[in-house]
Amino acid sequence: MRKLGAPSEIGRLAAPAAGLLDAAWQRIHWWIAAMAVLYLFSGVTVVRSDEVAVILRWGRLVGDSPGLQQHGPGLLFSFPRPIDRVLRVPVKHVWEVSVTTLDSAAGASGFSPITTGYALTGDENVVHVNMVARYRVRDPAEWAFYSPKSEDALRVEVTAAMVRSLGEMGVDRVLADGRQQLGATATRRAQAGLDAVHSGLEISSLEVTRLAPPAELASEFDAVQSAFIGAETAKKEAQAYAATAIPEAQSYADSVVQKARADGEAAVAQARGEAGAFLALVKEYKANTAVVRERLYRDAVEKALGAAGSVRWIPPPVVGSYHGMRIRVGPAGARPTAPSEEEEDENP
Amino acid sequence: MRTQRWLRATVGILALAAIAFHATAVIVTEGQTALITRFGRPVRAATQAGLHWKLPWPIDSAMFLDMRRQVYETGLTEMLTRDKKNIIARTFVVWRVGDPLTFAQALGNQTAAGGKLDGLLANAAIGILGGHDLSALVSTNPEDLQMDRVESELLASTAPVAMRSYGVAIEQIRLNRIALPEQNVSAVFDQMRAERRQFAAKFEAEGELEASRIRSEAELEAARTRAKGSEEEARIRGESAAEVARIYADAHRTDPELYRFTRSLESIDKLVNSGTSLILRTDSEPFSLLQSKDKQ
Repeated sequence: MRKLGAPSEIGRLAAPAAGLLDAAWQRIHWWIAAMAVLYLFSGVTVVRSDEVAVILRWGRLVGDSPGLQQHGPGLLFSFPRPIDRVLRVPVKHVWEVSVTTLDSAAGASGFSPITTGYALTGDENVVHVNMVARYRVRDPAEWAFYSPKSEDALRVEVTAAMVRSLGEMGVDRVLADGRQQLGATATRRAQAGLDAVHSGLEISSLEVTRLAPPAELASEFDAVQSAFIGAETAKKEAQAYAATAIPEAQSYADSVVQKARADGEAAVAQARGEAGAFLALVKEYKANTAVVRERLYRDAVEKALGAAGSVRWIPPPVVGSYHGMRIRVGPAGARPTAPSEEEEDENP
Repeated sequence: MRTQRWLRATVGILALAAIAFHATAVIVTEGQTALITRFGRPVRAATQAGLHWKLPWPIDSAMFLDMRRQVYETGLTEMLTRDKKNIIARTFVVWRVGDPLTFAQALGNQTAAGGKLDGLLANAAIGILGGHDLSALVSTNPEDLQMDRVESELLASTAPVAMRSYGVAIEQIRLNRIALPEQNVSAVFDQMRAERRQFAAKFEAEGELEASRIRSEAELEAARTRAKGSEEEARIRGESAAEVARIYADAHRTDPELYRFTRSLESIDKLVNSGTSLILRTDSEPFSLLQSKDKQ
């Protein structure tokens, strides 16, 4: 087979080794063939459901637009290495990074900017901020080949965005109701920064997990907070007072008016009744003046006699008038004493 | 035997081809640049991703540069603003290799870039922030804030130098820390403390004021409502009294004499009660009937 020249001394010495090689070849050439076949199929990749794959042919991205470059989940056929390289990117996965650059470390003493993280608000107050950013890959090709390291980029961009967003708000707005707005503007700014450096990342949420004044000033901030709450309470109490006082006054006014109306109506009704009675009496009186007059007079006298505490009868004077008749007036209900003749009185 | 020979030859040729390919091909992946050096001297840069060729070792060799963007965060630098306030600032840059040949010659590798950029950025920051007030960085007045301008000035003053000297393309510079020197913090704290006290007092005073305003307004409103009710009451009472008077007058006008008479009788009725003692002559009503002479 390998008769390249006359068998030399070297050839003779190498013969056992050549024999071994021959034997080995005989034994393994099927294995080589099998491995070649396997190699040809090594370009087949399974792309999982949360991934997107891109193919690099001779190192170059295949496809002109992101739509053509990216391959969704399923089987992906490509040439074996070194022709093609398949890169799978978990685009649906959401990563989380905690941004503590502006937060104070737990046991840090002093207020050196190196050991203690904080930011300045627009009115030059000091606040500590701790954030948790969640992000995912939006553009796999950009992320894989052009972007800076995701965590680094995210940390610095989010920090810069937060420093800037805090720097334009007053501390009271920040601590009271600015938290939502702060998160929103910082997210927008950080995203703009990430887009500008072709990071291919998308911030899905930026959560401000801690936003607090320095511990040294906590009691002062609490005092403002409680003063604020106290003021609100006083206002609420005043409003509650107003809410009862005004309806009470209204109901008083209503009842007074109702009473007046009822009284008035009753008085008018009574007047009508009496007027009606009087008119009826007038009619009767016109017809029989003397009789009616007599009756009325008698009724009245009878009633008066019945009602009076005591009635005494005295005989009429002998001549025109009384002389020397005396009347003693005792306490109410006392039996009047017998009259003696001294004081005189006229009875019509 | 023949097929085996072919097979063997093929394998041999493939192996040789693979070795030759490996020696001459330069596969440049996306995000990389290959710098081809001939006897150590850089001759060209293969910036485009794809397949490139070189002469085999030891004539040519390829050096790969990572073209992806890098984040570099500078150290904290103390500086003075235009309004003479001491601040400590930190910037970060996003950079990438802009000129592979210059980069390879000046810096050689990625980590060396950081040190060079640090000095460059610190100087630029000191210079540019010295031209702005602190209110350009932090202020509640949006017109004072000039962060965009500061950042673009920083970029403009560093990017050309970095490109020319180091082959580094700076794409973004932003301030990601604005702090105060440690010795100034206590003064700021005192200021904050005073401001807090002032706020607490203000809230208290405002709360009291507002509460008493609400209270007195409510009282006024209640009093007004009550008065209105009383007024209405008086009006209604007056009207009904007038009505009553009118009704009586209408009725009594029909016979004033009878009215007088009945009123007199009623007066008697009203005047006489259990405390009254009547002294009557026996010849007055009703006993007069018993007398021989009738009076009326």
